[in-house]
Amino acid sequence: MTEATEQAVSSTWKLQRCLTDLILDAEGGRSFAKDPMAFGEDRGLGRADQAALEKFKTRLLVYRGLARNALEDPLPDCFPITHGLLEEAGLWDACMDAFLASRTIQSAYYRHVNPAFVAWLAESAWGLERWPFLLQLAHFEYIEVEILRWPDEPPAADLKPAPDADSRVVFEGATRNLAYAYRVHEATRDDPEPAAGEAFLLGYRDAEGDFAYSELSAHASAFLARCLEGEPVSRAASALNLELEEVLDLLTRFKENGALLGFR
Amino acid sequence: MKGGSRVSPLVSSKGMEMNPFTGVGVGLRRPHLEQVAALDASPVPFWEIAPENVVGQGGSRHRQVMKILERGPVLTHGLSMSIGGYDAWDRDVLDSLKGFLKETKSPWHSEHLCWTSFGGATTHELLPMPFTRDAVKHTVERAKRIQSELPVPFLFENVSYYAALGEPEMSEKDFFAEVLEGADCGWLLDINNIYVNSRNFGFDAREWLEGMPLDRVRQMHIAGHTWFEEDQLIIDTHGAAVIDPVIELMQWVLPRIGRPVPVLLERDNDIPGLEILLAERASLQKAYDAAFEPAGARHD
Repeated sequence: MTEATEQAVSSTWKLQRCLTDLILDAEGGRSFAKDPMAFGEDRGLGRADQAALEKFKTRLLVYRGLARNALEDPLPDCFPITHGLLEEAGLWDACMDAFLASRTIQSAYYRHVNPAFVAWLAESAWGLERWPFLLQLAHFEYIEVEILRWPDEPPAADLKPAPDADSRVVFEGATRNLAYAYRVHEATRDDPEPAAGEAFLLGYRDAEGDFAYSELSAHASAFLARCLEGEPVSRAASALNLELEEVLDLLTRFKENGALLGFR
Repeated sequence: MKGGSRVSPLVSSKGMEMNPFTGVGVGLRRPHLEQVAALDASPVPFWEIAPENVVGQGGSRHRQVMKILERGPVLTHGLSMSIGGYDAWDRDVLDSLKGFLKETKSPWHSEHLCWTSFGGATTHELLPMPFTRDAVKHTVERAKRIQSELPVPFLFENVSYYAALGEPEMSEKDFFAEVLEGADCGWLLDINNIYVNSRNFGFDAREWLEGMPLDRVRQMHIAGHTWFEEDQLIIDTHGAAVIDPVIELMQWVLPRIGRPVPVLLERDNDIPGLEILLAERASLQKAYDAAFEPAGARHD
């Protein structure tokens, strides 16, 4: 927005921009607390509104705490290992400062705070220099929540319960074929730094609706990727020089544990 | 409600005998889902749910929610529409909300008179409006637009606030009343919010309510709050049991509304077990019933 346009916008708009900056900008709290009137002046507020900022300085700062708590609140539960790692390093707050200042959280859905954090890590590369696995670890932690909450689909009609050579695989909507360059699934709160090494994982909701994953070989992962794209089983297997019997066993196992809905 | 009202006949004074939305209901919360879904019948007259927490979800918890909601009755209460803000509404979110309102048969949908997002960035906090003519005009326009979109009448909730945003041109009370009248919408009267504001800003809650358009009230909220010594402030935490002065305020206003509008018990922090919450609901129901007894029959 140009300065001329800004002058023309309403006082309501300017006041909302001012409070948003106070809440989300990393240095917003400090610069506001130092001089609320200057903070308002910098954002185009008139003298009377600047004076109101001064008058309610302490209480406006309460909003900064409330909003930031609300935005940060779901993250430790969704990313327990990532959170523990950064807490231990004394960098969780700095990470949150940078995340909130990025204004990546844009969805009306509160549950989208978690994927916004992963998207921000990917975009900003925050922390990757020190912890090259950080984004992948956070992604795997988030995937559990995404899989658990993925929308249910209506039962598919005309599915065969067992695969054959000509089958096309119908995956459960929540199932994810994942590939990481770190052993993210082996990270724990006590040992949060995963070793480097390929990890091919199939994440899914099991028969009870709980999150589960299976580690795959590189070939099995590539085979399932082809199946996800709609290739018939035999063609996907032969493209990877896999035995048909072997892949049929694999698919039968994943049908039994809930990762697949069936076969067409 | 003035002419042109779209309030459901279910809540008109003539149709009260049909109205399932009366008495004290409870906000449905995650820790209670499994237990409530397993019950043969609903333990409350009605539930309230935030559509944002349900739409577009799946999995076992979601199925529990939907089982409970299908049993109904259900009222819906939004958290993030940011009616007082400037950001455009996400069409997918709006369409999902409309579908959900039809699915749950909620007789109305409520939202807070506040803003939650700016410049595309969401704060997920109920932020205060400036009490100005400019903000009234802006909010009325947005409220009319949202009312024209929704398949059910729209209610505004009065929020708790901790600071005036900018130099006020009017009182909070006048601001809220002007928006209600200008947008011609219903009122979700949050009695705890009025109490919290009265304590934080040093006014009399009953005086605040007098002269307000109580004919617009379709629903009430009641909740607990928390005193923060460090900030010398009561915060609307929904994290404690409702205190007696708030219950007394509810009892004071109900006869003045003159209709047994539904009251919803909210609890969002330090959520107790279901039995404890239901016991609090039962206690509030007694207070609610007593509010409609003839003055001589009351023992308070």
